[in-house]
Amino acid sequence: MTARIVTELGPWSWWVLGMLLLAAELLMPGVFLVWIGLAALATGALSLLLWDLAVWSWQVQALAFAFASVAFTLAGRRYYGRADIGSDEPLLNQRGASLVGRTATLAEPIREGRGRIRLDDTFWIVSGPDLAAGTRVRVVSSNGRDLTVEET
Amino acid sequence: MLAGPDIVVIALVALVVLVLFAGIKTVPQGYRYTIERFGRYTRTLEPGLNLIVPFIERIGAKMNVMEQVLDVPTQEVITKDNASVSADAVAFYQVLNAAEAAYQVANLENAILNLTMTNIRSVMGSMDLDELLSNREVINDRLLKVVDEAVRPWGIKVTRVEIKDIQPPVDLVDAMGRQMKAEREKRAQVLEAEGFRNAQILRAEGAKQSAILEAEGQREAAYREAEARERLAEAEAKATRLVSEAIAAGDLNAINYFVAQKYTEAMTSIGTASNSKIVLMPMEASALVGSLGGIGAIAREVFGDQGTRPVRPATPAAPAAATRVTPPARTTPTVNPFGPSSET
Repeated sequence: MTARIVTELGPWSWWVLGMLLLAAELLMPGVFLVWIGLAALATGALSLLLWDLAVWSWQVQALAFAFASVAFTLAGRRYYGRADIGSDEPLLNQRGASLVGRTATLAEPIREGRGRIRLDDTFWIVSGPDLAAGTRVRVVSSNGRDLTVEET
Repeated sequence: MLAGPDIVVIALVALVVLVLFAGIKTVPQGYRYTIERFGRYTRTLEPGLNLIVPFIERIGAKMNVMEQVLDVPTQEVITKDNASVSADAVAFYQVLNAAEAAYQVANLENAILNLTMTNIRSVMGSMDLDELLSNREVINDRLLKVVDEAVRPWGIKVTRVEIKDIQPPVDLVDAMGRQMKAEREKRAQVLEAEGFRNAQILRAEGAKQSAILEAEGQREAAYREAEARERLAEAEAKATRLVSEAIAAGDLNAINYFVAQKYTEAMTSIGTASNSKIVLMPMEASALVGSLGGIGAIAREVFGDQGTRPVRPATPAAPAAATRVTPPARTTPTVNPFGPSSET
Protein backbone atom coordinates (compact mmCIF):
# COMPACT_ATOMS: atom_id res chain seq x y z
CA MET A 1 0.00 0.00 0.00
CA THR A 2 2.84 2.36 0.92
CA ALA A 3 4.49 1.61 -2.39
CA ARG A 4 1.25 2.42 -4.24
CA ILE A 5 0.85 5.73 -2.43
CA VAL A 6 4.44 6.63 -3.11
CA THR A 7 4.05 5.69 -6.78
CA GLU A 8 0.88 7.74 -7.08
CA LEU A 9 2.25 10.78 -5.25
CA GLY A 10 5.48 10.81 -7.23
CA PRO A 11 7.81 13.63 -6.15
CA TRP A 12 5.22 14.89 -3.67
CA SER A 13 5.76 11.87 -1.45
CA TRP A 14 8.96 13.55 -0.12
CA TRP A 15 6.99 16.65 0.69
CA VAL A 16 4.43 14.61 2.56
CA LEU A 17 7.17 12.80 4.44
CA GLY A 18 8.89 16.07 5.30
CA MET A 19 5.74 17.65 6.64
CA LEU A 20 4.90 14.56 8.65
CA LEU A 21 8.35 14.64 10.19
CA LEU A 22 8.04 18.34 11.05
CA ALA A 23 4.65 17.69 12.59
CA ALA A 24 6.15 14.83 14.59
CA GLU A 25 8.90 17.18 15.79
CA LEU A 26 6.27 19.54 17.13
CA LEU A 27 4.57 16.69 18.94
CA MET A 28 7.77 15.21 20.34
CA PRO A 29 10.28 18.03 20.72
CA GLY A 30 13.85 16.82 20.51
CA VAL A 31 15.35 19.02 17.80
CA PHE A 32 16.04 15.89 15.84
CA LEU A 33 13.16 15.19 13.40
CA VAL A 34 13.16 18.79 12.27
CA TRP A 35 16.45 18.34 10.38
CA ILE A 36 15.32 15.11 8.78
CA GLY A 37 12.04 16.73 7.86
CA LEU A 38 13.85 19.63 6.27
CA ALA A 39 16.01 17.14 4.37
CA ALA A 40 12.87 15.40 3.11
CA LEU A 41 11.45 18.70 1.94
CA ALA A 42 14.71 19.51 0.16
CA THR A 43 14.73 16.12 -1.50
CA GLY A 44 11.14 16.75 -2.56
CA ALA A 45 12.13 20.07 -4.09
CA LEU A 46 14.93 18.38 -6.04
CA SER A 47 12.54 15.62 -7.07
CA LEU A 48 10.16 18.14 -8.58
CA LEU A 49 12.98 19.30 -10.82
CA LEU A 50 14.67 16.02 -11.55
CA TRP A 51 11.80 13.55 -11.39
CA ASP A 52 11.89 12.62 -15.07
CA LEU A 53 15.64 12.10 -15.28
CA ALA A 54 16.79 8.47 -15.35
CA VAL A 55 19.52 9.22 -12.84
CA TRP A 56 16.97 10.29 -10.19
CA SER A 57 16.09 6.74 -9.17
CA TRP A 58 14.69 6.09 -5.72
CA GLN A 59 18.09 4.90 -4.54
CA VAL A 60 19.67 8.21 -5.52
CA GLN A 61 16.80 10.02 -3.87
CA ALA A 62 17.36 8.05 -0.65
CA LEU A 63 21.08 8.84 -0.68
CA ALA A 64 20.31 12.50 -1.37
CA PHE A 65 17.92 12.45 1.55
CA ALA A 66 20.51 10.92 3.88
CA PHE A 67 23.13 13.41 2.78
CA ALA A 68 20.73 16.32 3.16
CA SER A 69 19.83 15.16 6.68
CA VAL A 70 23.45 15.26 7.79
CA ALA A 71 24.02 18.56 6.01
CA PHE A 72 20.98 20.20 7.60
CA THR A 73 21.94 18.96 11.03
CA LEU A 74 25.46 20.33 10.76
CA ALA A 75 24.20 23.61 9.35
CA GLY A 76 21.60 23.84 12.07
CA ARG A 77 24.14 23.25 14.78
CA ARG A 78 26.46 25.73 13.19
CA TYR A 79 23.78 28.38 13.21
CA TYR A 80 21.80 27.61 16.34
CA GLY A 81 24.47 25.99 18.46
CA ARG A 82 26.34 29.22 19.03
CA ALA A 83 26.25 30.13 22.70
CA ASP A 84 26.19 33.87 22.19
CA ILE A 85 22.75 34.16 20.64
CA GLY A 86 19.28 33.75 21.81
CA SER A 87 19.60 34.38 25.52
CA ASP A 88 19.06 37.50 27.56
CA GLU A 89 20.37 35.70 30.62
CA PRO A 90 23.67 34.29 29.42
CA LEU A 91 24.91 33.64 32.97
CA LEU A 92 21.93 31.59 34.05
CA ASN A 93 22.98 28.65 36.23
CA GLN A 94 26.56 29.88 36.24
CA ARG A 95 26.63 31.10 39.74
CA GLY A 96 30.33 31.79 39.98
CA ALA A 97 30.49 33.66 36.70
CA SER A 98 27.53 35.77 37.65
CA LEU A 99 29.48 37.11 40.64
CA VAL A 100 32.36 38.49 38.59
CA GLY A 101 32.66 42.22 39.17
CA ARG A 102 31.01 42.15 42.59
CA THR A 103 32.85 43.57 45.56
CA ALA A 104 32.89 42.24 49.08
CA THR A 105 34.99 42.30 52.21
CA LEU A 106 37.10 39.35 53.21
CA ALA A 107 35.44 37.39 55.99
CA GLU A 108 38.61 35.39 56.47
CA PRO A 109 42.06 36.47 55.44
CA ILE A 110 43.58 35.04 52.29
CA ARG A 111 46.42 32.83 53.45
CA GLU A 112 48.37 30.63 51.11
CA GLY A 113 46.10 31.72 48.35
CA ARG A 114 42.79 30.82 49.96
CA GLY A 115 40.31 32.91 51.86
CA ARG A 116 36.63 33.44 52.23
CA ILE A 117 34.18 36.19 51.47
CA ARG A 118 30.56 36.54 52.33
CA LEU A 119 28.37 37.29 49.34
CA ASP A 120 24.63 36.88 48.90
CA ASP A 121 24.40 35.45 52.43
CA THR A 122 26.69 32.55 51.76
CA PHE A 123 30.43 32.01 51.96
CA TRP A 124 32.60 31.75 48.89
CA ILE A 125 36.09 30.43 48.88
CA VAL A 126 38.32 32.86 47.08
CA SER A 127 41.85 32.74 45.87
CA GLY A 128 44.19 35.61 45.33
CA PRO A 129 47.16 37.37 46.87
CA ASP A 130 47.48 37.19 50.65
CA LEU A 131 45.28 39.84 52.21
CA ALA A 132 44.03 40.59 55.71
CA ALA A 133 40.46 39.97 56.75
CA GLY A 134 38.21 42.95 56.17
CA THR A 135 39.97 44.00 52.97
CA ARG A 136 37.65 45.04 50.20
CA VAL A 137 38.08 42.80 47.20
CA ARG A 138 36.56 42.52 43.76
CA VAL A 139 35.77 39.23 42.07
CA VAL A 140 37.71 39.13 38.85
CA SER A 141 37.06 35.63 37.60
CA SER A 142 35.50 32.35 38.49
CA ASN A 143 36.18 28.76 37.65
CA GLY A 144 32.76 27.66 38.71
CA ARG A 145 33.25 26.98 42.35
CA ASP A 146 36.12 29.17 43.43
CA LEU A 147 36.43 32.85 42.81
CA THR A 148 39.56 34.80 42.10
CA VAL A 149 39.73 38.19 43.74
CA GLU A 150 41.96 41.21 43.79
CA GLU A 151 42.16 44.11 46.15
CA THR A 152 40.06 47.03 45.03
CA MET B 1 12.62 -7.75 -5.67
CA LEU B 2 15.27 -5.55 -4.16
CA ALA B 3 18.82 -6.02 -5.28
CA GLY B 4 21.81 -5.91 -2.92
CA PRO B 5 22.67 -2.26 -3.53
CA ASP B 6 19.07 -1.28 -2.93
CA ILE B 7 19.15 -2.88 0.50
CA VAL B 8 22.45 -1.16 1.24
CA VAL B 9 20.84 2.17 0.35
CA ILE B 10 17.90 1.50 2.63
CA ALA B 11 20.22 0.42 5.42
CA LEU B 12 22.34 3.50 4.90
CA VAL B 13 19.37 5.83 5.16
CA ALA B 14 18.25 4.04 8.31
CA LEU B 15 21.75 4.28 9.72
CA VAL B 16 22.02 7.97 8.95
CA VAL B 17 18.71 8.60 10.71
CA LEU B 18 19.84 6.60 13.73
CA VAL B 19 23.22 8.33 13.78
CA LEU B 20 21.54 11.67 13.73
CA PHE B 21 19.22 10.51 16.46
CA ALA B 22 22.18 9.49 18.58
CA GLY B 23 24.29 12.52 17.73
CA ILE B 24 21.88 15.35 18.22
CA LYS B 25 21.59 16.21 21.91
CA THR B 26 19.50 19.06 23.16
CA VAL B 27 20.36 20.06 26.72
CA PRO B 28 17.64 21.98 28.55
CA GLN B 29 18.46 25.03 30.63
CA GLY B 30 19.36 24.13 34.16
CA TYR B 31 21.17 20.95 33.20
CA ARG B 32 24.65 19.91 32.10
CA TYR B 33 25.37 16.63 30.36
CA THR B 34 28.72 15.00 30.72
CA ILE B 35 30.17 13.29 27.67
CA GLU B 36 32.16 10.10 27.95
CA ARG B 37 34.35 8.96 25.09
CA PHE B 38 34.75 5.23 25.42
CA GLY B 39 33.69 5.58 29.02
CA ARG B 40 36.14 8.35 29.84
CA TYR B 41 34.91 11.83 30.64
CA THR B 42 35.87 14.34 27.99
CA ARG B 43 33.59 17.35 28.13
CA THR B 44 30.36 18.82 29.40
CA LEU B 45 27.46 19.83 27.19
CA GLU B 46 25.97 23.26 27.80
CA PRO B 47 22.26 23.97 27.41
CA GLY B 48 21.16 24.23 23.80
CA LEU B 49 21.69 22.21 20.61
CA ASN B 50 24.70 19.94 20.84
CA LEU B 51 26.17 17.28 18.58
CA ILE B 52 28.18 14.40 19.82
CA VAL B 53 30.06 11.88 17.78
CA PRO B 54 27.99 8.74 17.76
CA PHE B 55 29.61 5.38 18.44
CA ILE B 56 32.49 6.82 20.45
CA GLU B 57 30.78 9.42 22.63
CA ARG B 58 27.99 8.85 25.05
CA ILE B 59 26.04 10.92 27.50
CA GLY B 60 27.42 10.06 30.94
CA ALA B 61 25.42 11.93 33.56
CA LYS B 62 22.68 14.48 33.31
CA MET B 63 23.42 16.88 36.11
CA ASN B 64 20.92 19.31 37.48
CA VAL B 65 22.76 22.58 38.10
CA MET B 66 19.86 24.39 39.68
CA GLU B 67 19.99 25.09 43.37
CA GLN B 68 18.32 22.24 45.19
CA VAL B 69 16.82 21.80 48.60
CA LEU B 70 17.72 18.90 50.76
CA ASP B 71 15.60 18.09 53.75
CA VAL B 72 17.74 16.85 56.58
CA PRO B 73 15.60 14.53 58.68
CA THR B 74 15.14 14.92 62.41
CA GLN B 75 17.88 13.43 64.50
CA GLU B 76 18.75 13.20 68.15
CA VAL B 77 21.68 15.33 69.25
CA ILE B 78 23.39 15.29 72.63
CA THR B 79 24.47 18.76 73.60
CA LYS B 80 27.58 19.67 75.54
CA ASP B 81 25.63 19.76 78.78
CA ASN B 82 24.13 16.35 78.09
CA ALA B 83 20.68 17.45 77.05
CA SER B 84 19.20 15.31 74.34
CA VAL B 85 17.48 17.43 71.72
CA SER B 86 16.04 16.56 68.37
CA ALA B 87 16.92 18.83 65.49
CA ASP B 88 16.14 18.93 61.81
CA ALA B 89 17.55 21.13 59.14
CA VAL B 90 17.38 22.08 55.53
CA ALA B 91 20.33 22.40 53.18
CA PHE B 92 20.55 24.19 49.87
CA TYR B 93 23.16 23.16 47.38
CA GLN B 94 23.99 23.78 43.78
CA VAL B 95 26.13 21.85 41.35
CA LEU B 96 28.72 24.26 40.04
CA ASN B 97 30.98 21.77 38.30
CA ALA B 98 28.91 19.08 36.65
CA ALA B 99 31.83 16.78 35.88
CA GLU B 100 33.17 16.75 39.42
CA ALA B 101 29.70 16.31 40.87
CA ALA B 102 29.12 13.41 38.47
CA TYR B 103 32.38 11.54 38.94
CA GLN B 104 33.96 12.58 42.24
CA VAL B 105 31.17 11.28 44.40
CA ALA B 106 28.70 8.48 44.13
CA ASN B 107 25.18 9.19 45.21
CA LEU B 108 25.67 12.89 45.65
CA GLU B 109 22.49 13.67 47.53
CA ASN B 110 23.03 10.95 50.07
CA ALA B 111 26.60 12.09 50.57
CA ILE B 112 25.57 15.67 51.27
CA LEU B 113 22.82 14.48 53.56
CA ASN B 114 25.13 12.35 55.66
CA LEU B 115 27.76 15.03 55.77
CA THR B 116 25.25 17.58 56.96
CA MET B 117 23.81 15.27 59.58
CA THR B 118 27.14 14.39 61.11
CA ASN B 119 28.20 18.01 61.13
CA ILE B 120 24.98 19.07 62.80
CA ARG B 121 25.85 16.60 65.50
CA SER B 122 29.37 17.81 65.97
CA VAL B 123 28.51 21.49 65.88
CA MET B 124 25.51 21.21 68.14
CA GLY B 125 27.30 18.75 70.38
CA SER B 126 29.93 21.37 71.11
CA MET B 127 27.41 23.87 72.45
CA ASP B 128 25.29 24.14 75.58
CA LEU B 129 21.54 23.89 75.28
CA ASP B 130 21.06 27.57 76.06
CA GLU B 131 23.61 28.54 73.45
CA LEU B 132 21.97 26.19 71.02
CA LEU B 133 18.58 27.76 71.40
CA SER B 134 19.74 31.33 71.21
CA ASN B 135 22.50 31.09 68.61
CA ARG B 136 20.88 29.62 65.53
CA GLU B 137 22.77 32.04 63.37
CA VAL B 138 26.08 30.87 64.75
CA ILE B 139 25.16 27.22 64.26
CA ASN B 140 24.07 27.88 60.70
CA ASP B 141 27.26 29.75 59.92
CA ARG B 142 29.50 27.10 61.38
CA LEU B 143 27.60 24.33 59.66
CA LEU B 144 27.74 26.14 56.38
CA LYS B 145 31.49 26.67 56.63
CA VAL B 146 32.23 23.09 57.53
CA VAL B 147 29.88 21.47 55.04
CA ASP B 148 30.78 23.82 52.22
CA GLU B 149 34.45 23.15 52.76
CA ALA B 150 33.84 19.41 52.82
CA VAL B 151 31.86 19.29 49.58
CA ARG B 152 34.46 21.31 47.74
CA PRO B 153 35.97 18.32 45.92
CA TRP B 154 32.57 17.35 44.67
CA GLY B 155 32.13 20.44 42.54
CA ILE B 156 29.08 21.54 44.41
CA LYS B 157 28.43 24.45 46.66
CA VAL B 158 26.32 24.31 49.77
CA THR B 159 24.84 27.78 49.86
CA ARG B 160 22.90 27.43 53.07
CA VAL B 161 22.38 25.09 55.96
CA GLU B 162 19.56 26.15 58.21
CA ILE B 163 18.50 24.49 61.42
CA LYS B 164 14.73 24.31 61.14
CA ASP B 165 13.70 23.20 64.56
CA ILE B 166 15.39 22.39 67.83
CA GLN B 167 13.16 20.43 70.13
CA PRO B 168 14.35 19.86 73.70
CA PRO B 169 12.73 17.07 75.72
CA VAL B 170 9.30 17.85 77.17
CA ASP B 171 10.40 17.99 80.81
CA LEU B 172 13.20 20.35 79.88
CA VAL B 173 10.75 22.60 78.07
CA ASP B 174 8.65 22.59 81.23
CA ALA B 175 11.63 23.51 83.35
CA MET B 176 12.56 26.25 80.92
CA GLY B 177 9.05 27.61 81.12
CA ARG B 178 9.20 27.65 84.87
CA GLN B 179 12.60 29.25 84.82
CA MET B 180 11.33 31.98 82.56
CA LYS B 181 8.34 32.57 84.78
CA ALA B 182 10.51 32.73 87.88
CA GLU B 183 12.78 35.16 86.13
CA ARG B 184 9.89 37.43 85.30
CA GLU B 185 8.55 37.19 88.82
CA LYS B 186 11.92 38.04 90.23
CA ARG B 187 12.09 41.07 88.04
CA ALA B 188 8.61 42.10 89.07
CA GLN B 189 9.48 41.80 92.74
CA VAL B 190 12.68 43.69 92.36
CA LEU B 191 10.83 46.42 90.57
CA GLU B 192 8.21 46.54 93.27
CA ALA B 193 10.80 46.72 96.03
CA GLU B 194 12.63 49.42 94.18
CA GLY B 195 9.46 51.38 93.77
CA PHE B 196 8.71 51.04 97.49
CA ARG B 197 12.24 52.12 98.37
CA ASN B 198 12.07 55.13 96.14
CA ALA B 199 8.72 56.09 97.57
CA GLN B 200 10.05 55.82 101.12
CA ILE B 201 13.08 57.88 100.25
CA LEU B 202 10.94 60.55 98.70
CA ARG B 203 8.65 60.58 101.67
CA ALA B 204 11.54 60.85 104.16
CA GLU B 205 13.07 63.60 102.10
CA GLY B 206 9.81 65.46 102.18
CA ALA B 207 9.64 65.10 105.95
CA LYS B 208 13.22 66.27 106.31
CA GLN B 209 12.59 69.27 104.14
CA SER B 210 9.53 70.23 106.06
CA ALA B 211 11.31 69.83 109.41
CA ILE B 212 14.16 71.98 108.16
CA LEU B 213 11.79 74.63 106.96
CA GLU B 214 9.93 74.59 110.24
CA ALA B 215 13.11 74.90 112.28
CA GLU B 216 14.27 77.71 110.07
CA GLY B 217 10.98 79.45 110.62
CA GLN B 218 11.34 79.04 114.35
CA ARG B 219 14.89 80.31 114.26
CA GLU B 220 13.85 83.33 112.28
CA ALA B 221 10.99 83.93 114.68
CA ALA B 222 13.32 83.65 117.67
CA TYR B 223 15.72 86.14 116.13
CA ARG B 224 12.93 88.52 115.51
CA GLU B 225 11.61 88.04 119.02
CA ALA B 226 15.02 88.65 120.52
CA GLU B 227 15.30 91.75 118.44
CA ALA B 228 11.90 92.82 119.65
CA ARG B 229 12.94 92.30 123.25
CA GLU B 230 16.09 94.23 122.62
CA ARG B 231 14.09 97.05 121.15
CA LEU B 232 11.74 96.84 124.05
CA ALA B 233 14.54 97.01 126.58
CA GLU B 234 16.03 99.92 124.70
CA ALA B 235 12.72 101.67 124.76
CA GLU B 236 12.35 100.97 128.47
CA ALA B 237 15.82 102.22 129.15
CA LYS B 238 15.11 105.31 127.18
CA ALA B 239 11.86 105.80 129.05
CA THR B 240 13.55 105.28 132.37
CA ARG B 241 16.25 107.71 131.37
CA LEU B 242 13.67 110.25 130.38
CA VAL B 243 11.85 109.76 133.67
CA SER B 244 15.00 110.08 135.70
CA GLU B 245 15.96 113.10 133.65
CA ALA B 246 12.56 114.56 134.31
CA ILE B 247 12.94 113.82 138.02
CA ALA B 248 16.40 115.27 138.07
CA ALA B 249 15.09 118.34 136.38
CA GLY B 250 11.85 118.53 138.39
CA ASP B 251 10.58 117.51 141.78
CA LEU B 252 11.01 114.18 143.52
CA ASN B 253 7.48 114.36 144.81
CA ALA B 254 6.12 113.86 141.33
CA ILE B 255 7.35 110.32 141.34
CA ASN B 256 6.21 109.81 144.86
CA TYR B 257 2.77 110.79 143.71
CA PHE B 258 2.68 108.20 141.05
CA VAL B 259 3.97 105.44 143.30
CA ALA B 260 1.36 106.28 145.89
CA GLN B 261 -1.39 106.35 143.34
CA LYS B 262 -0.39 102.95 141.92
CA TYR B 263 -0.11 101.54 145.41
CA THR B 264 -3.54 102.61 146.46
CA GLU B 265 -4.99 101.40 143.17
CA ALA B 266 -3.47 97.99 143.79
CA MET B 267 -4.87 97.98 147.31
CA THR B 268 -8.28 98.86 145.93
CA SER B 269 -8.22 95.98 143.45
CA ILE B 270 -7.22 93.61 146.21
CA GLY B 271 -9.95 94.92 148.39
CA THR B 272 -12.66 94.58 145.77
CA ALA B 273 -11.66 91.05 144.75
CA SER B 274 -14.83 88.95 144.96
CA ASN B 275 -13.31 85.66 145.95
CA SER B 276 -12.33 86.52 149.47
CA LYS B 277 -12.49 89.36 151.91
CA ILE B 278 -9.59 88.07 153.86
CA VAL B 279 -6.56 89.74 152.45
CA LEU B 280 -3.12 88.64 153.33
CA MET B 281 -0.91 91.63 153.17
CA PRO B 282 2.64 90.51 152.59
CA MET B 283 3.78 94.05 152.07
CA GLU B 284 4.71 96.14 154.93
CA ALA B 285 1.97 98.41 156.17
CA SER B 286 4.61 100.90 157.02
CA ALA B 287 5.44 101.11 153.31
CA LEU B 288 1.89 102.16 152.68
CA VAL B 289 2.15 104.58 155.50
CA GLY B 290 5.42 105.69 153.96
CA SER B 291 3.68 106.29 150.74
CA LEU B 292 0.98 108.11 152.56
CA GLY B 293 3.73 110.15 154.07
CA GLY B 294 4.84 110.88 150.54
CA ILE B 295 1.34 111.99 149.72
CA GLY B 296 1.37 114.16 152.75
CA ALA B 297 4.61 115.66 151.64
CA ILE B 298 3.08 116.43 148.28
CA ALA B 299 0.04 117.94 149.95
CA ARG B 300 2.16 120.00 152.20
CA GLU B 301 4.21 121.26 149.41
CA VAL B 302 1.20 122.13 147.32
CA PHE B 303 -1.30 123.31 149.83
CA GLY B 304 1.01 124.53 152.53
CA ASP B 305 2.68 127.03 150.27
CA GLN B 306 -0.18 128.17 148.11
CA GLY B 307 -3.32 127.81 150.18
CA THR B 308 -6.42 126.25 148.60
CA ARG B 309 -5.29 126.44 145.05
CA PRO B 310 -5.80 123.22 143.12
CA VAL B 311 -2.74 121.19 142.46
CA ARG B 312 -2.45 121.85 138.75
CA PRO B 313 0.86 123.62 138.29
CA ALA B 314 3.02 120.86 139.81
CA THR B 315 1.48 117.94 137.99
CA PRO B 316 1.89 118.80 134.32
CA ALA B 317 5.50 117.79 134.23
CA ALA B 318 5.11 114.59 136.26
CA PRO B 319 2.04 113.07 134.56
CA ALA B 320 3.61 113.77 131.24
CA ALA B 321 6.65 111.80 132.27
CA ALA B 322 4.50 109.08 133.79
CA THR B 323 2.34 108.60 130.69
CA ARG B 324 5.43 108.20 128.66
CA VAL B 325 6.78 105.60 131.02
CA THR B 326 3.77 103.46 131.71
CA PRO B 327 2.37 102.60 128.33
CA PRO B 328 5.40 100.55 127.18
CA ALA B 329 5.41 98.77 130.56
CA ARG B 330 1.78 97.84 130.23
CA THR B 331 2.03 96.63 126.66
CA THR B 332 5.04 94.39 127.26
CA PRO B 333 3.33 91.04 126.70
CA THR B 334 1.67 92.14 123.49
CA VAL B 335 4.66 93.85 122.01
CA ASN B 336 4.82 93.46 118.28
CA PRO B 337 8.34 92.72 117.05
CA PHE B 338 7.80 95.25 114.33
CA GLY B 339 6.44 97.85 116.68
CA PRO B 340 9.56 99.35 118.21
CA SER B 341 11.16 99.96 114.84
CA SER B 342 8.44 102.45 114.03
CA GLU B 343 9.02 104.31 117.27
CA THR B 344 12.69 104.90 116.57
